[in-house]
Amino acid sequence: MTCDAPAAQSAVWRSYGIRRRSTRTVRVRVSAALVALTVLAVLLVPPLAQLDQQAVDLAAKLQPPSRSHPFGTDDLGRDLLLRCVYGLRVSLLVGLVAALVAAVVGTAVGAAAGALGGWVDRAVMRVVDTLSSVPHLLLGIFVVALFRPGVVPVAVSVASTHWLSTARIVRAEVLSLRSRPFIDAAVSGGASRRRIAVRHLLPAVAPQAALAAVLMVPHAMWHESALSFLGLGLPTHMASLGNLVQGARSSLLAGHWWPTLFPGLFIIVPTLAIAGLAGAWRERISPRRRSELML
Amino acid sequence: MTEPTPVLSVRGLSVRFLMPGGRRVAAVTDVHFDVAPGECLALIGESGCGKSVLASALLGLLPANAQSAGEARLGDLDLISADERTLSRKVRGRLIGLVPQSPAAHLTPVRTIRSQTEETVAALAGIRGRAAVRDAARAAAERAAFPAGHLDRHPHELSGGLAQRAATALALVGDAPLLLADEPTTGLDRDLVDRTVDELRRHVDTADGTGRGLLMITHDLAAAERIADRVAVMYAGRIVELADAASFFGSPGPRHPYGRGLLRALPDRAFTPIPGLPPELGALPEGCAFAPRCDRATDACAALPPVTGGVACHHPVPGSDVRAAEDVHA
Amino acid sequence: MLELRAVTAGYDPKAPVVRNASLAVAPGEAVGLLGPSGCGKSTLARVAALLHRPDSGTLLLDGTPVRRWRHRAPREQRTAVGVVFQQPRLSADPRLRLTDLIAEPLRATGRREEAPGRVAELAAAVGLTPDLLGRRPHEVSDGQLQRACLARALVLRPRWLVCDEMTAMLDASTTAALVAVVEEYRAATGAGLLAVGHDHTLLRRWCDRTAHWEDVTGGTP
Repeated sequence: MTCDAPAAQSAVWRSYGIRRRSTRTVRVRVSAALVALTVLAVLLVPPLAQLDQQAVDLAAKLQPPSRSHPFGTDDLGRDLLLRCVYGLRVSLLVGLVAALVAAVVGTAVGAAAGALGGWVDRAVMRVVDTLSSVPHLLLGIFVVALFRPGVVPVAVSVASTHWLSTARIVRAEVLSLRSRPFIDAAVSGGASRRRIAVRHLLPAVAPQAALAAVLMVPHAMWHESALSFLGLGLPTHMASLGNLVQGARSSLLAGHWWPTLFPGLFIIVPTLAIAGLAGAWRERISPRRRSELML
Repeated sequence: MTEPTPVLSVRGLSVRFLMPGGRRVAAVTDVHFDVAPGECLALIGESGCGKSVLASALLGLLPANAQSAGEARLGDLDLISADERTLSRKVRGRLIGLVPQSPAAHLTPVRTIRSQTEETVAALAGIRGRAAVRDAARAAAERAAFPAGHLDRHPHELSGGLAQRAATALALVGDAPLLLADEPTTGLDRDLVDRTVDELRRHVDTADGTGRGLLMITHDLAAAERIADRVAVMYAGRIVELADAASFFGSPGPRHPYGRGLLRALPDRAFTPIPGLPPELGALPEGCAFAPRCDRATDACAALPPVTGGVACHHPVPGSDVRAAEDVHA
Repeated sequence: MLELRAVTAGYDPKAPVVRNASLAVAPGEAVGLLGPSGCGKSTLARVAALLHRPDSGTLLLDGTPVRRWRHRAPREQRTAVGVVFQQPRLSADPRLRLTDLIAEPLRATGRREEAPGRVAELAAAVGLTPDLLGRRPHEVSDGQLQRACLARALVLRPRWLVCDEMTAMLDASTTAALVAVVEEYRAATGAGLLAVGHDHTLLRRWCDRTAHWEDVTGGTP
């Protein structure tokens, strides 16, 4: 045995899992860039645009993508790039408002049900179950039908169907936290019920609720597009992504692919980008990461 | 005494973690030890001293922000430089059997012990055919004293002791020359600790004399005393003492002041803690890491102590110091 | 006197984990409760700390029967019992720095201004350095976190301490250090202790007397 050999001072260090790390970084960077691009486009293009998105030019209708119209034109000769950006603006607005409302309502209801427990919990969760059993789109259509078409009814419709999942996530989280010894310790330390909810439970569920809200933005955008596609969402003259796809249906049959493709991409790409970022965030807040240094 | 070829031979093993902000955490530093066939080496130390990181390094299960250096030879294979494919196909289960920390969590909750054992038997022992697999699984369970009547139960239906036996049965299937037990007794009752440890010992002392090696990582000194042939004391990522178990726990006792301090803290001995806290692995002192807590520390401790006679200390307790040995039992 | 009389408790009324358990701790006395794992001794400890409502039986705190439990219990009763659990990771709010963790009971009971002095005093007693006090639970070791949890249990100067397997996850030196802190506190304040565990050697060394689970429950399984 030769234990007495001195330590190799110039130790050769070997690394682990470099490849896995770099793909994650790339994924996060691409997602972040796309989200930033989306936000910039939505904020900057309308004030800077030279053209009016509503400008009808029947002489240039249904032109394929070209230098003057990078995305081509629609059946009324309107520039599709501009229409898409305006559509994204509306869809994103509806998505953000709906997700925010749904997250706040869902967190409040879920936290109350989980923290209070007993008959309150049972009653609230039965209502949530009942509403969840109705197909979302059907419920959404029902809510929109109560109002005149517009941004607010659509946002309300989307929010009214989407708070259910947040409520469930938050309730489950609160229930699992409530039985943790650290809550026992707070009780034993004299904390009031209110203090336990505000200081210990809510901060613990906040990341989960926020994540649910972020993931709901693309979901809400899709929902808005679906409603508009069915003609129940926003007024047809308003450029929303759903309206754009709906309006392009007939030209697709005639072989004009661009009026469908580009609005479609505008729905899909931000969705994937937001989901990519949210996924990275979830990895960050998950407890698995905390044990990365296994001591 | 003729030294048999060691099962596991660790030379200069170091592991460090690269933390955000460029910080480096030296979890394991320049570790040397051997595990001989039929021998149990207990690796003891406080939580956070780097024991578990060492185990993960041997199994190739370090996280992505870790770097390692040195070697750990198991037969002809260096575990530290082996690629993931080799580790998963040849090492885990076949060359190293892992006895886990919390067996109930280690077993798949939704499947019975029988189906998990059969799967392991088919994968590791290469047994084909339903009847053969079934028999082999029953034999494997029997080897770890797992009662055949409980094979059709799910992990949550087992007591802590039986779950530990089931996990041990799985660890033994591949007939690995090295068993690695990572805190196998945490949270078990004293009686159950004794039983678990005795069973592990039985798997080391096989009748045919070839014998497995057992590396047991633990902070339970009583368990270590019961099972170990040799003891390695780890402090702040380094092995500060490597000693014969009988002399470590008995007379003349540990030679490194840290080992003495650990034993003095036992409730059946002096029950006095070592003053202070272990150092941060991210900010280790230049010299001896134990010096700030050591009552024998001198100016010499500002330099890193060399390992002499299995002890890394500038002023080890002499092996024949009877007065100091009595002090331990006071 | 901290007295449990014929306590039956559990999570399913049809199959209680604790049946008919009786145990008394006199002021200043240290009682060790020994039992195998899974026998229900942790549940009994939770009852003694007013954290679990028993199905039947009574808990007497200094002669007053406890009628309300958990957050419904009067604050003076709840805070008269300090409690330390087995797993420090689970019993510390992961978002609080160790300073805030220790000071939390003072803040919750409206004694915020005492916090800095009391935290400094307790941190010194349990051996936590100022550097460690500024960290969050995932940045310290199990032993360091359990030191903070013990400090939190002592911050309101409880008359009773309940330690549920406080040292099961810890190494010998940290165990001895934490027991020494508890004993120092008891010597200074005359508080009573109920220490629950499965380590005979430890509890016999630590406590004035030990009780076996079978004796506490009168031999009923």
